[in-house]
Amino acid sequence: MMRRFVNSLCASRLLRRGMLAALTGCAALAMSAGAEAQEIQLTGPLAGAPAVRKLRLHRAGRIEITPSASFTLLDEYQRTIMPGLRVMYHPTDWLGVGLWGGYGIQSTTSLTDELQVKAIDERNCPADSNTATDTACKLTAVNLTRGNLAQDQLGRMQWVAAPQITVVPFRGKLSLFAALFVDTDISFFVGPAVIGVQERKPCGKDNDGNTLADTPCASQGSFELESRIAFAPTFGVGWNFYPTSFFGFGAEWRALPFAWNTSGFDNAGAGNDEAFPDTAVNNKDRQFRMNSMISVNLMFSLPMKVKNSD
Amino acid sequence: MNQVRVGLLVAAALLAMPLTAAAQPKKDQPKEINLDDEGAEKPAEAPAEGEAAGTGEGEGETPGGEGEGLGDICKIDPSACPSINMDEAAKRDINAEMYAVQQIYALRRFRFEITPYFGITMNDQFVAHPAPGLGLNFYITNVLAVGVNGNFYAGLNSPSNFNFQTSRAARVGIPITEYAWNANANFSYVPAYGKFAGFGDFIFHYDFYVLGGVGAIATRPIAVVDPDNRTFEFKPRLSFHVGGGLRIFFNRWFAVVAELSDYIFFDELENPGIAIGNDVNGNPKAQDPTTWTAPETSFTNNVQAQVGFSVFLPFSWEYRLPK
Repeated sequence: MMRRFVNSLCASRLLRRGMLAALTGCAALAMSAGAEAQEIQLTGPLAGAPAVRKLRLHRAGRIEITPSASFTLLDEYQRTIMPGLRVMYHPTDWLGVGLWGGYGIQSTTSLTDELQVKAIDERNCPADSNTATDTACKLTAVNLTRGNLAQDQLGRMQWVAAPQITVVPFRGKLSLFAALFVDTDISFFVGPAVIGVQERKPCGKDNDGNTLADTPCASQGSFELESRIAFAPTFGVGWNFYPTSFFGFGAEWRALPFAWNTSGFDNAGAGNDEAFPDTAVNNKDRQFRMNSMISVNLMFSLPMKVKNSD
Repeated sequence: MNQVRVGLLVAAALLAMPLTAAAQPKKDQPKEINLDDEGAEKPAEAPAEGEAAGTGEGEGETPGGEGEGLGDICKIDPSACPSINMDEAAKRDINAEMYAVQQIYALRRFRFEITPYFGITMNDQFVAHPAPGLGLNFYITNVLAVGVNGNFYAGLNSPSNFNFQTSRAARVGIPITEYAWNANANFSYVPAYGKFAGFGDFIFHYDFYVLGGVGAIATRPIAVVDPDNRTFEFKPRLSFHVGGGLRIFFNRWFAVVAELSDYIFFDELENPGIAIGNDVNGNPKAQDPTTWTAPETSFTNNVQAQVGFSVFLPFSWEYRLPK
């Protein structure tokens, strides 16, 4: 169509009026005509049609109630399984607002079990480090409890609450074994998170650097956990499947980046860049971690009936 | 003057010709989107026949060409600009021919897949084992492939700060190892594929695959307990490979790949104890290599996240059945 238009124009009316200008115009038009011709979406029976028709709108105008179980990844000392609940409202099919929260249940990693056996139980160091004769007992008095490692000093995430905004840019379908077909979407979410953290309480020096004379870190009494509230951003991506109009399931990856002391060790506070132990455990011993987790979700949407797009 | 006009007409036709030729489908483009096949070939004949204008008119009868270049028409002659309500046009009923089974966007049967990637360790807190890698697959069917892949770790292993801090705080030596290379022969299976509409606008295709195989990995302990006496050489060990991934197609021969692979093997660790005393020749037992490694091997999972891209060869193919 465009080629016909340009060629006929060049051959007749314009050329009779001004040859040079017409030729220049023809060249310019021909160039643009060539570029247009590559946009094949403009042609054929589907010209002007949207990418998807009769799309089942699994989210638009619906409340989604989602029980979930989250599993932390790349844990050093303790894994956390976090049963939780997410409630979302989606004003449109691509946008939602809501709240996610969970309560953490911990289990130790094999590293923790090894440390418990080899560095604590087998050494059998005295509770009073001043009476210790073994070198290892003397040198680990600040860092290792004489009791239970997990209960006395390892940090843990007790609970998380996070309001969040969810955006759903990708919507599609999946064929499994070319026999089962299911609606699916990919969502991204972001929001602030409030985290209830337990970690070893300050000893030796408090968070302001003041000496805590009554709680030296080498004393067994310093091996206690203390609760605090941490604030962090949270974000992630989810992949969701909708086998029915009111029930779906999915998995999502979530990050909760913040600094905390997972080990209860004295790792920092002295020397260059405060990168060496200072016989005190406080906020300087916290280390930044991504704290990523995978959640498995069961999604129930209300009202139960799903709308379709045009 | 007439000769000049004819010459200018030819010049105009020559200007238009290479651009219209660019609109022709390339050889690697699939058949089913060549909506303008018939019309696209005609302009090339025009200069040879000296009928530039006439040829152009003939092309206009191509049904698929009706929507081309409306914006250009409007620029030149606003009064001739057709007024189309795009929203209404989008809602109109379409008498499109539908098929019970649509053609799969990217067929894999009898094609080679070349996949360079980079992998990072997911489950070793003590030593990072990043590695570039390469995967080669040949698809026997559309869903089943045989292939090989390999990782090159040498020089990239790095003990972590966490390893150092834990060893220092707890006064323990944690046996660690490093890898040199890994190679596997694999079967791949593609059980699921699908497509996504992005922002309700464009569509892209993806598939899931799982794989399993067997191969070898070369590892050696890093001397931690007695580095003064112990040095270790890389030794290949039998390994098994299981994994799965996601492939997102950008076109019919290029895709981005994200994979999670577990390389499973029995690893040899450094002996946490140091032999005491001398042997019969008077040499320290601590210098006897047979005392350097732990008596038992350790079951090891090296879980890697791998991200790369895939190129399928040949670039194009013919569908066996029409759409």
